[in-house]
Amino acid sequence: MPVVTLYLDRLQRLVGKTSREKIISTLPFLGLDIEEQTDEYVRVEYSPNRPDYATDFGIAAGLQGLLGIKKGLAKLDVKRGPYQLKADQSVRKIRPYVTAIVAKNGTLDDETIRQLITLQEDLHFGIGRNRKKSSIGIHDLDKIEFPLRYTTAAKAHRFVPLGAETENSISEILQNTEVGLQYGKLLENAETVPIILDAKGNTISFPPIINSALTTISSSTKNLLVEVTATDKNTAEDTLSVIAATLQNAGFFLTSVQISGAGNITPSLKTKKMSLGVEIANKILGLNLPPGIISTTLKKCRLDALPKKNKISCTIPRFRFDIFGPMDLIEEVALGYGIENLKPTLPHSSAVGQKNIVTKQLDLLGKIMVGLGFTEALNSSLVSKNIQYGMTNRDSFGFLQVVESKSQEHTILRDMLLPSMLDTLSRNVHEQYPQKLFEIGTVFSADDPIKEEISLCCISAHKDANYSEIKSILQSALKTGFNIECQTSTSTNFCFAKGKTADVIANNSKIGTIGEIDSAVIENFKIRMPVVAFEIKLSGLIFN
Amino acid sequence: MSQVLHPIEKKIINALKETQKLNTDELEKKTELSSDQVRRGIEWLKLKGLADVSESQETKYNLSSTGVEVLKSGLPERKLVNLLKDKPKTFDEAKQFLLESDFHAAIANAKRNDWITIEKDDFTTKISLKVQDPQSSSEEKVLQEINQGGFDQNTLYHDKSQHEKLVGYFRLKKLGLIEEIVNKSKTISLTEKAKDIDTSKMDIEEIDVVASVPATFVARTHPLKEVINEIREIFTSLGFSEILGNFTQSSFWNFDALFTPQDHPAREMQDTFYIKDSAADKVATPVQIRQVARSHKLGWRYNWNIEEAKKMVLRTHTTCVTIKYLADKKPDEARIFSLGRVFRNEKVSYKHLDEFNQVEGIVVRKDVTLRDLMGLQQEFYKKIGLPKVKFWPTFFPYTEPSLQSMVYNERLGKWVELFGMGIFRPEVTKPLGITKPVLAWGGGIERIAMLKYGLDDVREFYNNNLGWLRTAIQCL
Repeated sequence: MPVVTLYLDRLQRLVGKTSREKIISTLPFLGLDIEEQTDEYVRVEYSPNRPDYATDFGIAAGLQGLLGIKKGLAKLDVKRGPYQLKADQSVRKIRPYVTAIVAKNGTLDDETIRQLITLQEDLHFGIGRNRKKSSIGIHDLDKIEFPLRYTTAAKAHRFVPLGAETENSISEILQNTEVGLQYGKLLENAETVPIILDAKGNTISFPPIINSALTTISSSTKNLLVEVTATDKNTAEDTLSVIAATLQNAGFFLTSVQISGAGNITPSLKTKKMSLGVEIANKILGLNLPPGIISTTLKKCRLDALPKKNKISCTIPRFRFDIFGPMDLIEEVALGYGIENLKPTLPHSSAVGQKNIVTKQLDLLGKIMVGLGFTEALNSSLVSKNIQYGMTNRDSFGFLQVVESKSQEHTILRDMLLPSMLDTLSRNVHEQYPQKLFEIGTVFSADDPIKEEISLCCISAHKDANYSEIKSILQSALKTGFNIECQTSTSTNFCFAKGKTADVIANNSKIGTIGEIDSAVIENFKIRMPVVAFEIKLSGLIFN
Repeated sequence: MSQVLHPIEKKIINALKETQKLNTDELEKKTELSSDQVRRGIEWLKLKGLADVSESQETKYNLSSTGVEVLKSGLPERKLVNLLKDKPKTFDEAKQFLLESDFHAAIANAKRNDWITIEKDDFTTKISLKVQDPQSSSEEKVLQEINQGGFDQNTLYHDKSQHEKLVGYFRLKKLGLIEEIVNKSKTISLTEKAKDIDTSKMDIEEIDVVASVPATFVARTHPLKEVINEIREIFTSLGFSEILGNFTQSSFWNFDALFTPQDHPAREMQDTFYIKDSAADKVATPVQIRQVARSHKLGWRYNWNIEEAKKMVLRTHTTCVTIKYLADKKPDEARIFSLGRVFRNEKVSYKHLDEFNQVEGIVVRKDVTLRDLMGLQQEFYKKIGLPKVKFWPTFFPYTEPSLQSMVYNERLGKWVELFGMGIFRPEVTKPLGITKPVLAWGGGIERIAMLKYGLDDVREFYNNNLGWLRTAIQCL
């Protein structure tokens, strides 16, 4: 989840009349988790569905609502401007949508710039899906000559990219810069790439990769142009709406940019109307609030709300695209009402709870194994191929693998519990013997669909460990717990010693293997004691 | 004074009455006890104030195998001297008789010992002896002494006249000609108190009931399993019944049915374990598939792809099990829970595992409320021993409203984030034909188990460290 740093002096100034303590204690009730707190700042984690909380401007607006300093919707005031941006047909195939807005007469201090960059990055990562779906360019308006053209250019096209001092070709940018290498693949090796040119023919942006150096913003910049390019029209507008609202909160005056060409139109950034039933709101929250109070709670969440009989007519700002329907509004009511004011109630029920039959059987088996003197171990379902097959001298045929695991120890799904148990013994050679362990766990095999069964593995290591001991344990466990008689029949099994291993048979079918572990395998695991073990499938044996 | 002594202690006391001071080896011989028994016996007697133990250390010096050879054949400089005895030699002549490595050492050392003179003319360098038969060098003396057993390094330190010998000793040691063996020994004697003890007058039947005994380890259920079992009990006591499901699931039930768009970051390989070359053949009923596809198209505005939904994953939560249950049974009223392992492709650390346990409770009923959901949480935490609870808003993709619970932990002295909760979104329930409100809540079990066992590293649960498994104690 994304994190934003809030400098408390600045936040307090933005919120208005309230104390620092009040601010800090209110933050969690906006859904913001405090990660770190110092005298100077707090770092909060916000939910990706609220990108407007990526800056202190958005959070200040939220706090003002909950603290009752400013309520209701902050209307987006967009003046009509002379600015124009036209898209060429050529962009349709590569990155079809563009939208933009101008923000004027603001002041950018270093912290505001930092906040805007964070917002931009979080939008890129979140709704922009790592710039694939939408990406943003923020420019110094005064360096740009209108009208703009959103078009495509060949790879030989040259301009000075942000952070560079000399001209680079598109190919060079894609091959030599960090952003080029990271995001170039989004353009899928197209012959031409999207580009925004101004009236003088200057390149101002090469979306979704990099801006030009020409329009770099600094703390002396007063007027901004924000452009968004996207593969989806709604996402383009969603993205723009968050930035527009943030810039207005930051003290800028918004002016529209007329967008045209290739199916693009000027963004409306209009509010959305939605109706909320008083009854359903109260029913879901377990409250009995009159329409007037519900309206107030919504206004505290910076929405507009008008009670009309048993319905509330709500007006939702464009950037609150996380609000899909009434349930989302009900959450706003809960927030505005104050989660701390919601008193928990325990719903009555005559239902009788039951454990699953499988769980019951496994619990019973676990108790029996403990009674037989075995201690329970737990291993991961994901194991390493080396332990699972290499060290146990087993064939690694047809195992199930996971894709791109972050851990080398966890790359395949286990088909057997025994290898991990041997590994467990291996890691405990310094502990007191006898070591007697069991595990009950899921094993996997490739099938369609993938087969999952539950197995029991039981292992004993001490200087007198032998076949009779472990066979006796096996028979006792199944007989005492489940009245199952099992037999052992001569066999040869990987990883067990020749002549000292058998198949385990119950109800005329093989359910597992038993025996003394082969000395070579014991050696592989660097265990210095005789080891005996059995492993049986429980699925189909003690439950179906 | 009533004093109970172990037979081992009695044997040691009797031996020491005969001979006042004995070391451990001597005690073993005399008492015919094993070295382990003697060691333990001495410890017990020491604790009881019946024996004094003084430790001493003795160093023995031996020649190494190369040392023995050198003693026979002589050091390189001595070899050189022998070579020069009949007449002086040039460098090249001398080199023929000595090893390359020995030659340089021989020249350097013979020079230092003041045994030879080296003269250089235009063409050759000539070595000749100063005295016909030079005396032993300090190195040679040390070698001899060690061989005869009369060497002690410690006596050399404080005697200035022996300085040369000490230097010689260090040179030989550096050359690996000498081995040092340090023997530590304990000398045991009886204290005054013990001297009065007459072991023959002690009751043979009496045993030392005060003495410590070796630890016995109980076979036991895994500590984490204890917590899992406790959680199951609490759920059933609250009227919840358990449902089970597979660890491997289609993306359809793990993600799509829960309104997670197909391009959502959580679905990427760096967060979710996909199973290689594996796709579900039939993921759901045609109606379920059609409705879920529609819900995605309407809500997220993209073309939903069935192939994406077929990809098999290791479940990232137990919610896939509960949602499938609800979609298939469509109960008007239900209290169910699902508990088991879930998987995230995360880097394993003290905070995170890539495979852990989760529990999830579900209540379906026409009149359940958010406050009920909070009440159930509070009841659960009370039963598990965490009575201080508060709630904060949060976000989950498939519930609305959503809350998270914070519980106060006395040991850590702070609030800890535990279970999340919410009411399933209509975008989730409606397409699957679920018409009644569904309360859902749950979270990771290891986090609770960590509080219970006072652990700071979650990996401990899966390390199977026997030392811990055998002794872990619940502290909550």
